[in-house]
Amino acid sequence: MSSVWLPCGDYHWNYAQDQGWWQTNFLKGKMILLLAIVFIGIPLVADEYWISVGTMIGYTAMGALGVQLLIGYSGLLTLGHAAFIAVGAYTSVMLILQFPWPQFLIDWGLAYPISIIAAGIVAGLWSVLFGLPSAKVKGFYLILTTMAAQFITVDFILTQYVSQIGGRGQAFSLPPGTIKIGPWVIENDIQIYFVMAVILTLMVIVLANLLRSKPGRAWIAIRDNDIAAEALGINIVWYKLLAFFVAGFMAGVAGAFWVCNTAALSPEHFQWFLSLWLVGVILIGGVGSIQGAIFGSIFMVVVMELLQMGAIPLAEYYPKILFDFAYIKDMAFGLAICAFLIYEPNGLAYRWWQAKNYFNLWPFSY
Amino acid sequence: MELFFMSLTTGLMVGGIYALVALGWVLIYKCSGVLNLAMGELTLIGAYVTYTFHAIGVPFVPAVLLTLIVGIILGFLTERIFLDKLIGEPILAVIMVTVGLSFFLKGLIGYIWGSDTRVFTPPIFDIKPITVGILKISPVYLWSFILSIVLLIVFVAFFKYTRWGLSMQATADDETAALSLGVSARFVYAAAWAIAFMSAGVGGALLGNINGINISVGHLGLLVLPAVVLGGLNSVPGAIVGGIMIGLLQNFSGTYLDAYFPGGVKEIMPFAFMAVFLLFKPYGLWGWERIERV
Repeated sequence: MSSVWLPCGDYHWNYAQDQGWWQTNFLKGKMILLLAIVFIGIPLVADEYWISVGTMIGYTAMGALGVQLLIGYSGLLTLGHAAFIAVGAYTSVMLILQFPWPQFLIDWGLAYPISIIAAGIVAGLWSVLFGLPSAKVKGFYLILTTMAAQFITVDFILTQYVSQIGGRGQAFSLPPGTIKIGPWVIENDIQIYFVMAVILTLMVIVLANLLRSKPGRAWIAIRDNDIAAEALGINIVWYKLLAFFVAGFMAGVAGAFWVCNTAALSPEHFQWFLSLWLVGVILIGGVGSIQGAIFGSIFMVVVMELLQMGAIPLAEYYPKILFDFAYIKDMAFGLAICAFLIYEPNGLAYRWWQAKNYFNLWPFSY
Repeated sequence: MELFFMSLTTGLMVGGIYALVALGWVLIYKCSGVLNLAMGELTLIGAYVTYTFHAIGVPFVPAVLLTLIVGIILGFLTERIFLDKLIGEPILAVIMVTVGLSFFLKGLIGYIWGSDTRVFTPPIFDIKPITVGILKISPVYLWSFILSIVLLIVFVAFFKYTRWGLSMQATADDETAALSLGVSARFVYAAAWAIAFMSAGVGGALLGNINGINISVGHLGLLVLPAVVLGGLNSVPGAIVGGIMIGLLQNFSGTYLDAYFPGGVKEIMPFAFMAVFLLFKPYGLWGWERIERV
């Protein structure tokens, strides 16, 4: 949805303007307002509970952005994204706990930031490894290879081997105060929220910039017709692997972020469910749009929270509801995916776009 | 050597069950082009429904037959409610609807039956193994194998020789031509889902007899995916051979590789093998190769 609605009499004079981020002052103001809400408004208004919901939304969105890049922009169907998030999380924790950091790096609070980047790189490379079959297969077969990535990585390597480093039963738990960014120790919900907001903003900026430059156009060409893209001189294997690397990098960073939100790491956090959940998020939000990944995350997380809130008063009469809430969540998620695919295949981003168009011409639509 | 033959027979027999479930998968794909990721949950439903009938006092074989009837009803309902509106949509949409379906079914199963392992009491099959020469076969495996082979033959015969089966084949081949010949495509799709529910249901009932019924039966149902990839997505004999090969692969890797890679190598091996296999032969052993043009 690159076509930005311009006010009457406003024209672009060159291509740079056409590709510009903020093409009108209104848009610029809107984005500044959005950032102000995210960084100042929400922390001021929300209580601790909603702050942690916001953190969950951010974490989901970080994962969903990578899935959006693979599925929505490059047409590479993946159902194994949680594996790369897991690789990032484990890399980060192992680096923090096991790596012989020089004392000055710890004092300056650089250990965690460095481990975030390292986690991104390791997860990106791991993702490229499992993206290699994409050179040869696509569609359903690619889904199967990414599923294999999920099961091999999380259910086998992480559960059976990595989790046992340092002795069986030793959880990958970080002592309080270990996670330090610069002078700040990340320990309470609001600090975690700010870490999330910064990382997510950076990710969106990087992804949006990639998508409007050469790699992004190559990915979109591959998505629309890979054979035609190859005929146009795009090295499709290279760009597919690049897509896997970038998506894996983002997943790794998301995983490294998850480290500061959780007390102890366990393969339970990265089951196949998470992969499917992320794909569901982008389907509900809208495939092929960055906003879609964010809308989808907000929608899914908030709906699940509201469901839980609704279940609490009901539980007085029917306690099984709260007791078995995980199953109700599964059912609601499944039904939401089916309903969106059947009745609203373009997702929430499309509705947003329609609403914007309506109000652009309001009240005198012609 | 005894270990080898033990793995061989167990693999063959478990493979028979996988083949049965894989057949259901292939029938759906052949008839309606739907790539179904909910097969694990269909298997689970079959297991629990059989268990419920058995728990209220129905003997095992009638319970399986009742499960077949429930399978037909559920298959029709599923097709009508979820899949019917998606014919001709992009592949991702169809796959993800089956994923949504699998979540829905998983939640429903969990809500109704909980997460405890259920065991058929008293055990339906004798626990004492049957000795044939040097082989010791536990009766569960043997009867499961026989039952799944019988059902395989029934399903294949249905597909090849009956009027409905032939109309399913016609729709799979060319939907437009079949429609013009008076075949109801919607009925055929529903029938394919009914058969899938039935075959997965029986598969689940049999798998549930081996280790008890819990969510891991669903993971076993997911093993049909490597099986059908191995055989080729749209080949009925391929599904059978693929299912048996996955059973063998699983048991041999459990026997021989577990010493080198302790842990769940048995569960992972089919998927790892599939990932490598796809690199060399993406269309499986007997699948149709799709030629693409711009």
